[in-house]
Amino acid sequence: MSMRSSVASFVGRSSYWFLHTFFKGGSSLPGKLTLKLDPDILKNLGAKYDVVVITGTNGKTLTTALTVRVLDQKYDNILTNPTGSNMAQGIVTTFLEAPKSKDAKPVAVLEVDEANVIEVTKYIKPKAFVFTNIFRDQMDRYGEIYTTYQKILNGVALAPEATIIANGDAPIFHSKELPNPIIYYGFDHEPDSEMKAKPNTDGVLCPVCQNILHYKSITYSNLGKYYCPVCGFSRPELTYSLNKLGELTPTSSSFEIDNQPFKIEIGGMYNIYNALAAYAVGRFMGVSPSQVAKAFESDKKVFGRQEEINVEGKKVTLILVKNPVGLNQVLDMISTDKTPFSFVSLLNANYADGIDTSWIWDGDFEMLPKLNIKAFMTGGERYKDVTFRLKVAGVPEGKLTVEPNLSKVIEKIPSLPTERVYVLATYTAVLQLRKELANKGYIKEGMTL
Amino acid sequence: MSYELNVAHLYGDLMNTYGDVGNILALEYYAKQMDVKLNVDIVSLKDEFDADRYDLAFFGGGQDYEQVIVSKDIQGKKDALTQFIESDGPMLAICGGFQLLGHYYVGADGEKIPGIGALDHYTLAQDHNRFIGDIVIDNEDFGEEYHGFENHQGRTFLGEGEKPLGKVVTGKGNNGEDQTEGAIYKNVFCSYFHGPILTRNGNIAKRLLVAALERKYPDQDFSTLEKMPIPATF
Repeated sequence: MSMRSSVASFVGRSSYWFLHTFFKGGSSLPGKLTLKLDPDILKNLGAKYDVVVITGTNGKTLTTALTVRVLDQKYDNILTNPTGSNMAQGIVTTFLEAPKSKDAKPVAVLEVDEANVIEVTKYIKPKAFVFTNIFRDQMDRYGEIYTTYQKILNGVALAPEATIIANGDAPIFHSKELPNPIIYYGFDHEPDSEMKAKPNTDGVLCPVCQNILHYKSITYSNLGKYYCPVCGFSRPELTYSLNKLGELTPTSSSFEIDNQPFKIEIGGMYNIYNALAAYAVGRFMGVSPSQVAKAFESDKKVFGRQEEINVEGKKVTLILVKNPVGLNQVLDMISTDKTPFSFVSLLNANYADGIDTSWIWDGDFEMLPKLNIKAFMTGGERYKDVTFRLKVAGVPEGKLTVEPNLSKVIEKIPSLPTERVYVLATYTAVLQLRKELANKGYIKEGMTL
Repeated sequence: MSYELNVAHLYGDLMNTYGDVGNILALEYYAKQMDVKLNVDIVSLKDEFDADRYDLAFFGGGQDYEQVIVSKDIQGKKDALTQFIESDGPMLAICGGFQLLGHYYVGADGEKIPGIGALDHYTLAQDHNRFIGDIVIDNEDFGEEYHGFENHQGRTFLGEGEKPLGKVVTGKGNNGEDQTEGAIYKNVFCSYFHGPILTRNGNIAKRLLVAALERKYPDQDFSTLEKMPIPATF
């Protein structure tokens, strides 16, 4: 490290210590200071690590957490960035506050937003990139899926030697020729049949000849064993494949990867993809399948997103929904619940939620009347939109309560007819609801999204 | 059910970006109240559009990439679609669908992307700007107000024989200049509204369905359906 970098790094570390100790904060300011003093600091800090960058629309946070767990089986003190601090200065801070590792070349696992990949690769040459998926996500802010993928690739272009570990079931990750070595993971758990994706699915054009892709199996959305009946373009060979699904419940999933059994303490097909991605990174980095299985079972706290809140004896599960694909996955997941339950849907349309609520029409609410749901409740600032959505989906009006006010939503939960209650809410609705739950003493203040 | 309508969902697997399928769901919702059964087909790439088979058509908006592909394919359906429109076939076209019924639109890179010219409008691009936000328009002829959300880069200018769907009360509308939003030509309704449009504006759904019924069953009287009240949903 140059003299300049050493000084910059010292200033950053000191400011981190100062802020952390006296203000219980300090996520980006130390990085900012350090970057000011030495713009090349990240290059120097990052060069000491084997860096894995995890990016994509859905599943970044959990894939990052799981990957850290998995690599923890082999490596010491893995460095990772807290959710939300994935701009350059946040990452510098992450490196500055890194604990010492015993490994000759320690490992860093970084969650990076799609558009910020280039901000990282300007300085750091990662050992691997993980591409989870690209779905439409509040388009009024982020743009189209092809634009998003191009942003990722602009970043990857600065690191042509890094291995890409990509979801092989996503056609978009097979659409461009890249100089990088690529490893694909995906699902191979069903016998081949013939199908197309549901009509309102994004990204179903063959990237070679622009005809509609067909599938031999589909897990969800446009993910699956795709092929083009016109030009023969098809899913690449999978290096790591999920070959069997076992018992799926809203709180756990059993499955086999490469014929080895695994279990994770969280429901949802999308989380199995996250686990599969973490498995693929683990194998790439020399972790054995049995070590991965151990890692998956070792700590349940990593799955903190779906906490169960006790409201006067009701078991309330609060789930964040932010786009149609995520919403459909949550609906699929709760449909595996064998006990009757109540369903609450809260819709806001602030900037962080996406100001356009049209995405709710792409959610498969039509499955709700078929589930064992005893009562429905709608609320939030855009309660009218979500109420009409449920009506159109065929939810009987007699089972539906409309309560715009979130504080009153909580007051009405104890009188719901079932012990189990699922609350699906957009981002700011989750924040507001948690605040109200804290005010009423059902949870401690704070955010664990 | 007493009546049946065949609905063509044009490029429903490609032009589906902003909850467009909600328009089909809303049509089904109101059709059910009218005792009408809808048979919805996706009519997409390389499929034939049979103007005689369909009683109603819906054409949504898509991403730039998909729209360019659709622009090429739809030239093969141009004659059938024009025939359908000219023979008073009811149609709803949103965003990209609206643009592609006109002469052309200018894409993100400045290239002119051809429509089918069945309607007389054209669409220009604007630099580094989109019209995004809630919008309210007023249709004086119908005495109805429509509510929605607009999000478009294109600026559309109406032509011969086209009336706007409404006059802008709040928001930007077709081009931010002339206070028009959307278009009406014969039984074709065009708009930039997502929302999707029919889920917040059931009156337009009713108009489309009644027009389709009157065209298919000319001997029946649908005046009671025309008077069916549509409760506000927004």
